[in-house]
Amino acid sequence: MTSPTLVVGELHEGVLSDSTKEAVSVAQSVSGKENVVGFLAGSSPRGPAAGFGRCGVAKAFVAEDPRLDGAVAAVVAHLVASAADSLGAELVIVGGSVFGRDLVARLGTRWNAAVATGVTSLTRTGATLEARRPVFGGRATETRQLQGPHVAIALRPHASAAPPESPGDVALTAVPVDGVPASFWVPKRLGTEVVARGAGPGLTDASIIVSGGRGVRAAENFRLIDELAASLGAAVGASRAVTDAGWRPENYQVGQTGKQVSPQLYIAVGISGAIQHLMGMISSRVIVAINSDATAPIFKVADYGIVGDLFQVVPALTQEVKRARGQ
Amino acid sequence: MPDFSLTPEQESLRDLARKFARTEMAPHAAECDRVSRFPEEIYRKAFDLGLLNLNVPAEYGGSGLGLFDQCLMVEELAYGCGGMTTTVIAHCLAVEPILLAGTPEQKERLLKPFCAEYHLASFALTEPSGGSDPGSMRTLARKEGDDYVLSGEKCFISNAPQASLFVVFANTDPSLRHKGVTAFVVPRSAKGVSVGPDDEKMGHRASSTATIRLDDVRVPASDRLGAEGTGFSLAMRTLDQTRTPIGALATGIAQAALDHAASYSLKRETFGKPISEHQAIQIKLANMAQAVHAARLLTWHAAWLIDRGQKGTLESSIAKCFASDAAFDVADEAIQTFGGYGYMREYPVEKLLRDAKLTQIYEGANEIQRIVIARELLRGYG
Amino acid sequence: MEIVVCVKPVPDAETRLRVAPDGTTLDIEAVKFVLTGYDESAVEQALLLKEATPGSKVHVVSAGPPPRAEEALRASLALGCDLATWVETPPGVSPDPLSAARALARAISTIPHDLVLCGKNAGDDEAGVVAGALAELLGVPDHSAVLDLRWDAASSRLRFQRSTEAGMEKWEAPLPCVVALQQAWNDPRTAKLPAILKSRRSPIAKVASEPIASTAGTTRPTKFELPPPRTGAKLIEFKTPEEAAQKLVKVLKEEAKVFP
Repeated sequence: MTSPTLVVGELHEGVLSDSTKEAVSVAQSVSGKENVVGFLAGSSPRGPAAGFGRCGVAKAFVAEDPRLDGAVAAVVAHLVASAADSLGAELVIVGGSVFGRDLVARLGTRWNAAVATGVTSLTRTGATLEARRPVFGGRATETRQLQGPHVAIALRPHASAAPPESPGDVALTAVPVDGVPASFWVPKRLGTEVVARGAGPGLTDASIIVSGGRGVRAAENFRLIDELAASLGAAVGASRAVTDAGWRPENYQVGQTGKQVSPQLYIAVGISGAIQHLMGMISSRVIVAINSDATAPIFKVADYGIVGDLFQVVPALTQEVKRARGQ
Repeated sequence: MPDFSLTPEQESLRDLARKFARTEMAPHAAECDRVSRFPEEIYRKAFDLGLLNLNVPAEYGGSGLGLFDQCLMVEELAYGCGGMTTTVIAHCLAVEPILLAGTPEQKERLLKPFCAEYHLASFALTEPSGGSDPGSMRTLARKEGDDYVLSGEKCFISNAPQASLFVVFANTDPSLRHKGVTAFVVPRSAKGVSVGPDDEKMGHRASSTATIRLDDVRVPASDRLGAEGTGFSLAMRTLDQTRTPIGALATGIAQAALDHAASYSLKRETFGKPISEHQAIQIKLANMAQAVHAARLLTWHAAWLIDRGQKGTLESSIAKCFASDAAFDVADEAIQTFGGYGYMREYPVEKLLRDAKLTQIYEGANEIQRIVIARELLRGYG
Repeated sequence: MEIVVCVKPVPDAETRLRVAPDGTTLDIEAVKFVLTGYDESAVEQALLLKEATPGSKVHVVSAGPPPRAEEALRASLALGCDLATWVETPPGVSPDPLSAARALARAISTIPHDLVLCGKNAGDDEAGVVAGALAELLGVPDHSAVLDLRWDAASSRLRFQRSTEAGMEKWEAPLPCVVALQQAWNDPRTAKLPAILKSRRSPIAKVASEPIASTAGTTRPTKFELPPPRTGAKLIEFKTPEEAAQKLVKVLKEEAKVFP
């Protein structure tokens, strides 16, 4: 008899995020569909919580309070702990996100649990869970066994697929929003600036990323990268050389001290492939490099490469992508 | 048994120098070499990090490092750029006579300003009449009451165009030949001091050298270092200290040359394979590696002895002579490894040969080193 | 402001990773240890806050084995931290994140702490949980993925941005709290030689590391794998840029199956 597994959800643009759906999929495969229970906190969580039903989750907790939008992870961790305890849950899984990692850190500590984050695959053998996760900037993968009355897992973004959606209902149970230390309510989110990035999604969430490097030569040439990304519906990234030069703001930087990304497709344009950058994108599923220097280290790690002049190749590629996608 | 490992402190010092060399010096080395530019902004950064006054004791605000630790750092800096490192050690060279022969009042008065603010000093011994024969110098110091009046010319003086202070060796009694040489400190601002245009050099072009003219420069007795007639011996004792860091500088150049050659040989292909798989190149690289390792260890040993209070003349001469010859040979072979590309200014190796050459000449030409080595050696058999 | 910054020494990024023959451990001995990237930034941030807020002190703390944890503390002192505390753990292996957080909490609860700064994650295990765990143990909120951190004395609030999936969030929060910093400085300060020498002689307070309480949950790595060596890119041959584009799109569609 497997005990209940709690999946803590979060919202993206008003509905359950992709990361939450991925967490549901993993929970279902590890614990069995019938044992998965959802959790959602927010100012009006009931509507979005219906998304759980469409993923095949039959039950979910909701914590409702106007203060919950823009509350710190500490608040939600407290509420999740109460819900999980009342449920007798042994396993909590959260999707790959900033929130997910925070939640697991606090919850895991509170529970004295076995904890793993950035998990790319999770399997169960009897009482033991086995998690795989990248370490050392994606240069190695570790397999970790987790045992104990409580286990808390945060996934790596895009490591799993979301479950196919079909109509389904979810029975919602309200959890009281109380017992949270007063000081946890004080930090305030003042606003969110959706980062301007053309038509593409956010960098860490994106399944396709087009990144530009020093080879682009000047700020005004970066529009070639933007155009290619737009044609693919991709996010735009940059190497450190580009952000150091001020051609794009720091939050575009992919690398050891920038964002670590793991998209399905990463196209590196005019990027030499210094280790600092590689550590940010090496765990991408497919890497394409476009560079005029055949000896650039990026060609050692890329799956496909074009040795050529990016000022000719990239516009040609944009055209071809548009044609192939019927744009 | 000697312990060849570095302490954590030594590793931190070496890492500091390495980081500075690779991030601040190396990126500008080629450009400064090409146009013969003295990168003052880099030297100011070196000063800010405490890399300039390595041999000045902490009580005056310097880093007060022993010779071994200085050599560790000098090798790393020279890996970044030999010329820029020459600026740093030429400054240390100038400061050394003050350390060896200055009175407590002189040390306080002269050393503190160097550690408080960025200033450079120059060691002015060499003359057109002779570098290896300083006893024949023609610069005279005529005694007038409590002052000395200096007249003469010093050439190939490192840092001269920028220095605020010169340590000048002049003869107060030519009849005594080298026993009449006396050391003085002369501020640039003194009347009669003029510095010629920068010399156009084969290498070390990020360092500037020039001729200094002294036309009846009045120097008070309080600016005389040590007693009259002790200057030659002071110069020799100074060079005893500074000879070993030249070995370290040469080792840094040699290591850079070896690294360039080895990594190039893994990438460059001829006859269907990387040239590192051709025996001719393997033998070259092996010879180069032997030379670099030996240069480093000779330098380390000499520095270690001197830090223990020994004179170390034999060992430091061997280190300087061997390491500088090794740097030249290794740089030469590095160019050969690169083939035609090695001959092109666009590639980094030909600069290393031009920089290595000077290490065989300055701070005691290798011919003189060999004479010193023979003399010291034969002493042991006499 | 009493600022505490937590640092973890990790193998240098250039270290070659080797897996033991039985595949169960990563061989990281005899390797150079440095402050992990984000921790370097956290120290820089701590020092910048100290300089902006007169009367502040920075206390650096590390929970780890000798000699690497001690070296990390001395490196931080050389950068300008005022005090250092070391929770010494058994030699050879860094403690797992939750054990480290417990050790750090033990040390931090004995020293003044208004703001506790951590790096977002460490370059080796990349768990990214220490800040949250530490905050839970200290009973304070934590803020993660933080950029652009400032102290607004007039309102007695920290002001910062957080880089999340939603975008750039603007926040204000009171002290005390734990902050996990995502900021990377383009030009963090370099320790000067005199400071390096001085740091060798600086006292480092030590807090005893209690044996790790038998935790309810245990986790241990059982296998390490290096990715199959990437054999290098399949280069697309082309005569015109258009041909290159066509061939690439085709291969992404049919072979790699990643075309949107």
